[in-house]
Amino acid sequence: MSEFDSSSAVFKSRANKLAALLATGEERTRLWRPDELAAIFRHQMSAPMLVDLSGFDSRTAMRLRTLSEAQGLLLKSFADLFQHSSPLIELLELVKDFAKANLDHPESGLPGEIAAALYYTSIAAALVQLDERISQLPDADLQRGLRWTLAQIWLDEKTKELLAQALEKISGGQKGTGP
Amino acid sequence: MAFEPSKSSIFPRTDWAELGKAGEADVARLDQLIRLYWRPLRIFLLATFPSFKDQADTLLQDFAEDKMIQEGWLRRADQNRGRFRDYLKTSLRNFVLDRLSRAEMKTPPVSLEDLEQELPQPDGPSEEFNLAWARTVLAETLRRMETDCKNPAEEQPRRSFIWEMFRLRLLEPVFHDAAEPSYDELIDRFGLKSPTDASNTLLSAKRIFKVHLSRVIKEYAGQDAATAAEIQALEDFLARLAKRR
Repeated sequence: MSEFDSSSAVFKSRANKLAALLATGEERTRLWRPDELAAIFRHQMSAPMLVDLSGFDSRTAMRLRTLSEAQGLLLKSFADLFQHSSPLIELLELVKDFAKANLDHPESGLPGEIAAALYYTSIAAALVQLDERISQLPDADLQRGLRWTLAQIWLDEKTKELLAQALEKISGGQKGTGP
Repeated sequence: MAFEPSKSSIFPRTDWAELGKAGEADVARLDQLIRLYWRPLRIFLLATFPSFKDQADTLLQDFAEDKMIQEGWLRRADQNRGRFRDYLKTSLRNFVLDRLSRAEMKTPPVSLEDLEQELPQPDGPSEEFNLAWARTVLAETLRRMETDCKNPAEEQPRRSFIWEMFRLRLLEPVFHDAAEPSYDELIDRFGLKSPTDASNTLLSAKRIFKVHLSRVIKEYAGQDAATAAEIQALEDFLARLAKRR
């Protein structure tokens, strides 16, 4: 493991490096570089849903496990859920809530761009795969969000396709039957 | 450091039995603080009184024992805890001037005025002292953080990862200009399961760093508000110095 001599490093360093070290204690500073977003999104899409979503309360975690098992999704990824031909709406809602919780949390380590992409992709999957609307956002706001997500260069092709279909569906006036 | 203060106590002449329990605790706390901040004190002493180069450690030892341990010093220090650094500096400076003054009475050839004229501008010693102080605080923070993260008794099973990730992603790039390992490299190396997992590990590292930083400072600055003010003061000082140098 490490052979880092922190005392020697600190005592040999100039003020600018010490200032940089002090700044690392700030939680508001960005954790990841913008050029890492593609890797982070790729990882997010392939991550087992249970790892992230089980962070909710124990009842929700149990419900999630039951739902995942019912649909043969146990320990499967977010990508599997979004690309499923008939994903369970409750699972999509859980993903949307997870993304929103991260978006709204000032100390969330998940980059806002990734949380926003997850949020809009879960809504898009419900629209495209189930013809359901799981968001109460007005059409204009939803379109704006979907377009913003679609424009991210770090997005994979399959997700782009899903978002494009959702946009088309909304623009065509098909609003689904959800809340 | 040219001199290592006695491992048993920095106050070898003190009769601990006479202090009573409260006094013993106070002196033990003081002993720990002075031992930790010996280096900045020595730097300040030498920068302010260069002619004491050969006696710096003895003088500091005398300052600790003859001045700090005296009744009232610690109480006044406690009243000034938010500005403990400044209080310590002023107190040391006055102590040495007092020594010089008494020496002058005995041997008049060098006047106190002459000696004082030799002193560098007030900002110089203070700046060196503050820089050495900031370094001591940060080195102690990192030492405690590493020990904490590598403590096998800690419940969090992957706690040692936290130190490693902090070292690779933040310390090595800051101190050794190493390239930041990419997100993918970190994921492979630590087997992180998702971006949230990765972010939480890094956030935990930052939080642990901050907790230890606050604890180190609280030991001399006191209450939370004073600690926060001292962190801010160190940040401001380092930022100012970084811009100038």
